[in-house]
Amino acid sequence: MIALVDANNFYVSCERSFKPALEGRPVIVLSNNDGNVVARSPEAKAIGIKMGQPFFEVEELISEHNIAVFSSNYTLYGDMSARIMSTLGRFVEEVEVYSIDEAFLNLKGYESVYPDLVALAQQIRATIAQWQRIPVSIGIAPTKTLAKIANWYVKRQPAHNGVLLLSDPVDIEARLQEFDVKELWGIGHRYTSLLKRNGIKTAWQLRQCPDDWVRQHMTVNGLRLVYELRGTPCKMLELEPAPKKAICTATSFGHLVPDLKNMTEALTTYVARAAEKLRRQHSAAGVMTVFLHTNRYRRSPNGEPAKQYYNSRTVQLPHPSASTPELVGYAQAALTSIFQPGYLYQKVGVILTGLVPDSYIQKSFFQADPSEDLLKLTRIVDKLNRRYGRDKVRLAGQGFSPTWPMKQKYLSRCYTTRWSDILQAD
Amino acid sequence: MIAERDFIPAEDIIKASVSSKLLIPFFQSYVQAGFPSPADNYLERVCDLNDLCVTNAEATYFVRVTSDSMFDDRIEAGDVLVVDASRDPVEGKIVVASLNGDHTVKRIHYSRDGVVLLPANNKYKPISVKAGDDFRVLGVVTYVIHKPM
Repeated sequence: MIALVDANNFYVSCERSFKPALEGRPVIVLSNNDGNVVARSPEAKAIGIKMGQPFFEVEELISEHNIAVFSSNYTLYGDMSARIMSTLGRFVEEVEVYSIDEAFLNLKGYESVYPDLVALAQQIRATIAQWQRIPVSIGIAPTKTLAKIANWYVKRQPAHNGVLLLSDPVDIEARLQEFDVKELWGIGHRYTSLLKRNGIKTAWQLRQCPDDWVRQHMTVNGLRLVYELRGTPCKMLELEPAPKKAICTATSFGHLVPDLKNMTEALTTYVARAAEKLRRQHSAAGVMTVFLHTNRYRRSPNGEPAKQYYNSRTVQLPHPSASTPELVGYAQAALTSIFQPGYLYQKVGVILTGLVPDSYIQKSFFQADPSEDLLKLTRIVDKLNRRYGRDKVRLAGQGFSPTWPMKQKYLSRCYTTRWSDILQAD
Repeated sequence: MIAERDFIPAEDIIKASVSSKLLIPFFQSYVQAGFPSPADNYLERVCDLNDLCVTNAEATYFVRVTSDSMFDDRIEAGDVLVVDASRDPVEGKIVVASLNGDHTVKRIHYSRDGVVLLPANNKYKPISVKAGDDFRVLGVVTYVIHKPM
């Protein structure tokens, strides 16, 4: 059996964990740069605030409903997530951290230790409620896909008291018959409309489809999904995180930026950060894409949508590289080639792809090899920055008093990672 | 939620309890005159303050004291408390609790009429938790980090 443990409104719950006064009050958390609503407490949902809604649309509801607003504090959420995942590891050996607020547990082999899986799940919930003060929902079923479905019901039906075990075939059938295919794990818009066109509306109907039809229309991944619905595990727990296949760094500017100088400073910082990530996972990038765009939501003073511009440039590097100065050189050249004056930019970013292990860099015949000295230097810079704080040693091109950092007007304290921010008690 | 994943810089995920390790070499035998113990060739291990103060990292939080309400228990304003949320707040333990939204450090006492939070300073009065109060215990204070004058 597999359990899916999923934190309820995770970002909101993290904020409440250190501010119990927020209990019962509507709370929302905003995305990077305070742009959109990315987490809502049940009270905020009840007011009608939508997931992903731009913040300016809900701003006037704030005082009317006494809503608590937070910028996303990923430092806090990341640490609380790590604490929860580590706590789960106390109960079972195999924990797959699926996202910041979800984990799969492999319960196979624990039948004698935990004869009552619902009781085990309740014990996990109680532990996390006491240790991290975060409410979680737990779905248990023979496969990951069914565990997801069980969890979906737990979240929506309070009567389950946070835990649902789906193992009885009659029970599974009943649940699948009322489960809309569009809510299925891995089914996007395209497959939803394909299935609906063919009269398949529920997970149960999909489960009954002949294998050949599924394979033909939905590839082998669709077939895996159907097997999982039938109770045959096809998706195994992934316990070792795979190295990332692409690294993207881009954040929206705190306010719109019109000039190349500020854009270059921002991009240089993002490249430096992406290169740091590359080196940490011992990869080198072969391809770099630089992109920029203006603010989609912005309107001109006359109410018309403002002039928009989007562009990107992909550069094939002569050899895979993980050295900051080298990557910055290409990134700045790419940015200069796509930058257009006369626009107010909201975002610039870099995506590194074509990643290879850094021990396996293919040498180029006509080009000079990557400079070993530069790479050594960047590794030392990484070490210094790990010890003394981010960006303490940096390229001059990253600037010194950036005017472009993220807007984080409603940031809470980093209660668990900064001495200056810890809780206070009188 | 998976899309959010990439937006957390991995370097921002730090555990409070293990982020800064203070490593002090620890010697097996005392310094002796004469022939040195051959055991001194082997540094047995290094002492980590976390091993002493933090027994359950996932449930440990640091809390700074802002008042002198626990002065007689040698807890002073500015001290840092090591608080373990996994320990049960049994009778007589010093706990950090939140009462109607504010955090406070007090000794917990279970009386016949309910929970009472006892200060350790006669300038302060015991606080009785009343029905309807929002009261919860964050955890039990396991160590006090105090910087002497």
